[in-house]
Amino acid sequence: MKKTLPALIAHIAVILALIILMGTLGIIAAGIEAEGNDKFTGEIERGATLRILENDTAKEQGYLKELLDAFNAKYAEYGVKAVDANMDQYTDLEMGGPYGYGPDVLYQANDALMKYVDGKHILPLPVEQLECADKVGEKAWDAYRASTGGQEYIFGVPVNIQQPLLFYRKDLLPANWETEWDKDKNGVPDMIENWSAMYRYSKQIRQASGGAKYGYMKSLNDGYFASGYFFSYGGYVFGGEDGKDISDVGFSKNDGYLGAKIIRQLASVMNLECTEDTITRNSYSRMAQGAYFATMTTPDVYTLFVKEMVNAGFTEEYARANIVMTDIPALPASGNLEDEDNGFIDMTAMGGVNGYAVSSYTKAPNAALAFVDFATSYKMINRRAELLGISPARSDLAETLGGLNETIKENLDKGSIYVMPSVRALAQVWTPLQTFCATLADDVLTGKNVYTSDEKLKEGIKNVDKQIYDAIHTLGGS
Amino acid sequence: MKTISDIKKGFKSIPAKIKSIPAKLSAKLAGAKEILTQGNGKVTASLIVMGLGQLIYKQWVKGFMFLFIQAAFIVYFVLTGATDLFGFFTLGMREGNAWYGIEGDNSVVCLIMGILAILIILLYAVIYISNVKDVYRTQCAYDTLKQPESFKKEVGALLDKSFHKTALALPVIGVCVFSILPIVFMILIAFTNYGGDIVPPALVDWVGFANFGKILSLGQFAPTFFKIFGWNMLWAVLATAINYFAGLGLALLLNKKCVKGKAIWRAFPILAYAIPGFITLLGFKFMFSYGGPINYYIQQGGGEAVGFLGLDAKWTARFIGLGVNAWISVPSTMLLATGILSNINTDLYEAARVDGAGAWKQFIKITLPYVLFATTPVLISQFIGNFNNFGIFYFLRGGLYADGYFLASDTDLLINWLYNMSIDNNYYSIGAAISLVIFVITSIISLTVYVLSPSYKQEETFR
Repeated sequence: MKKTLPALIAHIAVILALIILMGTLGIIAAGIEAEGNDKFTGEIERGATLRILENDTAKEQGYLKELLDAFNAKYAEYGVKAVDANMDQYTDLEMGGPYGYGPDVLYQANDALMKYVDGKHILPLPVEQLECADKVGEKAWDAYRASTGGQEYIFGVPVNIQQPLLFYRKDLLPANWETEWDKDKNGVPDMIENWSAMYRYSKQIRQASGGAKYGYMKSLNDGYFASGYFFSYGGYVFGGEDGKDISDVGFSKNDGYLGAKIIRQLASVMNLECTEDTITRNSYSRMAQGAYFATMTTPDVYTLFVKEMVNAGFTEEYARANIVMTDIPALPASGNLEDEDNGFIDMTAMGGVNGYAVSSYTKAPNAALAFVDFATSYKMINRRAELLGISPARSDLAETLGGLNETIKENLDKGSIYVMPSVRALAQVWTPLQTFCATLADDVLTGKNVYTSDEKLKEGIKNVDKQIYDAIHTLGGS
Repeated sequence: MKTISDIKKGFKSIPAKIKSIPAKLSAKLAGAKEILTQGNGKVTASLIVMGLGQLIYKQWVKGFMFLFIQAAFIVYFVLTGATDLFGFFTLGMREGNAWYGIEGDNSVVCLIMGILAILIILLYAVIYISNVKDVYRTQCAYDTLKQPESFKKEVGALLDKSFHKTALALPVIGVCVFSILPIVFMILIAFTNYGGDIVPPALVDWVGFANFGKILSLGQFAPTFFKIFGWNMLWAVLATAINYFAGLGLALLLNKKCVKGKAIWRAFPILAYAIPGFITLLGFKFMFSYGGPINYYIQQGGGEAVGFLGLDAKWTARFIGLGVNAWISVPSTMLLATGILSNINTDLYEAARVDGAGAWKQFIKITLPYVLFATTPVLISQFIGNFNNFGIFYFLRGGLYADGYFLASDTDLLINWLYNMSIDNNYYSIGAAISLVIFVITSIISLTVYVLSPSYKQEETFR
């Protein structure tokens, strides 16, 4: 015992001392500030391979291949090669990027891309070096602007603007629309110009057909599309100057409750399918069958409507001539769809700005920036618009293309597009909102008639704000 | 491979094992005391440096092996082990900045590597003790004028009477790394603030029991928790019972001699089983929707469309959930029961018939006890599976919050509620805390049910 116990203690002491010494050295080493360098030196990394994440439509329509081929040909002298990242279009850079699995360049919506800013997963870009710098409007750049460490940076390059549009069957307009449904005689049917006339026409179709046919049909529980009714009367998702103050949830703010009133009225000319996602699924075929006159969706699905009309026995030429995609109608200023006499306000719809960002984990940031510059050039965006039917964020191209492209660009500039807030908490918005919208529709269609007064509507939408606030802050909030 | 009987024996021996812990501990302490008091200089040498005593005894291979292990341990700790161990407590000190290519500490990796460092220390301690025991055994052999076993013989024993140690060494290491480490990691996450905006490269911190405190102190939490817990229990009991008895009934039916084309009839439920569950669920959701075929025929028949899964469809949706779950799960029970039924001794039925027992009596007294006895562990696993059945209501009725519920609908189970609250915002630590609560609840229920079951109490009945 005289020798053994001290020997045991000595062994343990040596091991402990070693652990403490090496561990402390590790902590000291961690405390030494590491220095970093600006990655954008302007020198393209020779022989680099860039993994490009694009959306599925760009792949399916062959645009990505064209883009990659053109870029690779241009930068062949540097040995730079851009390839398809072969990843899911919604790949989360936060999960794979730090471990070397993410793409070098990403094309996603602004809310998806900007959530990577907090973790510094995407690089702030020297956008002034890009050809499109002064061709893209400020509002589009705003979607990619964020302050960090007291300095403002831009993290993405806008490519196209997303906005819901109204789709309708021109051949289902009333035969006498020019005399009976064009009050201002501007050659545009009233139901396409304002929601009050659309409501009146939908009511007429439904009554005349005994419920077999409908005018405007949409799954009203779809928060993305329904939120626009609240925004149009002063509601908002999150407060603050940049719309990112998650302590202020504001669907009920100002006259937001009027949006709820509009939804309830629209539901009254539909059927119970509008409380669930049935209409989202069947609107293509039902419009082709002539059972629906109009619906609201995003422009990328135009070809699906045409395809269904062809399946229903129409020629493609006829289908393309009669499926019309147009800007969304104006809302009555009074918030009452029965009112067509007291003026209209532009509807503000939720939208977004899709664009490119560069991963912070790329080994070739300069080559990646060169790719973004190339992909956002006039020529490539024009080709993208031709093949994919996008609405370009470049003002010069939007003006040249004209029509809806110009309208959408103007909508963004004048604030009629509510750009999706680029905050993680947005995920908590949808369930409370869609539950309430479905409740409103159910209320009128099942005859419960709970939300018949303004007070009840205000109470309902305030409850939605509270649910969203609770969802964000109860468990995660500090 | 372990049989159900082995598992039962394992369960039964738990109380006796617990009782024997103090005695075993005091025996170990006495052994250690003996080594420390009786050990000679060579034992002391091995206490200071592993393998040194063996080398003095000229047991070269063994001595160098222990020496090598100690050297490897020191090298590991100098290079990374000590930093990893400290990282376990600090969860990282330097935040990375990917913009400038500054690689910081990843708290999640720090936690995993820290757990690994602790496991390696424990492994080292075990080897250190065996090193001391080994040299003391050699001392004892020399003291009693015996020749200690040669290294060759000791290695030979590892392939003979101590083969279990050889065979189990790799699996034990595998279990530690691939099973224990992730479980410990998940449990420890519940004591951190990992999640939300605090995900790498941001540094995670230890927060003690704050997550559990948060869960318990939320005003909105308790009423919803008890409502959902009540429904969750009812769901788990009903779903398990329906699946079990419907599967057994189907198996009994298809076992009847009078049924023609059994193979074909058995194939139908298996087809339902073979289709991926979420596709079945989406199919049923469409069938019961306002625009689905069921409402179509109701309306064609002059009726009003029914909101089977709508906002107010609390109990209708719950019953549909039970039905759909049965559609998916009954085939597996049917297959299980078919196998078990084929093992029942037909003499028992013959004897029962002679005694005048009817079909119902035979079922109650012979078939059911036998099948229950054989399948209680499976029943428990089905109960836990149903308790944590995420898919059914996520696919059938997701995206709804009901009045009077906090961030949940009236058909949501605890697992769905956990998802609503944690996953959308990546609140991993809260998720881990609630998972631990669910784990405790299901463990208590399962163990209680098992201990009270005939499977446990009357193990020898069918032997």
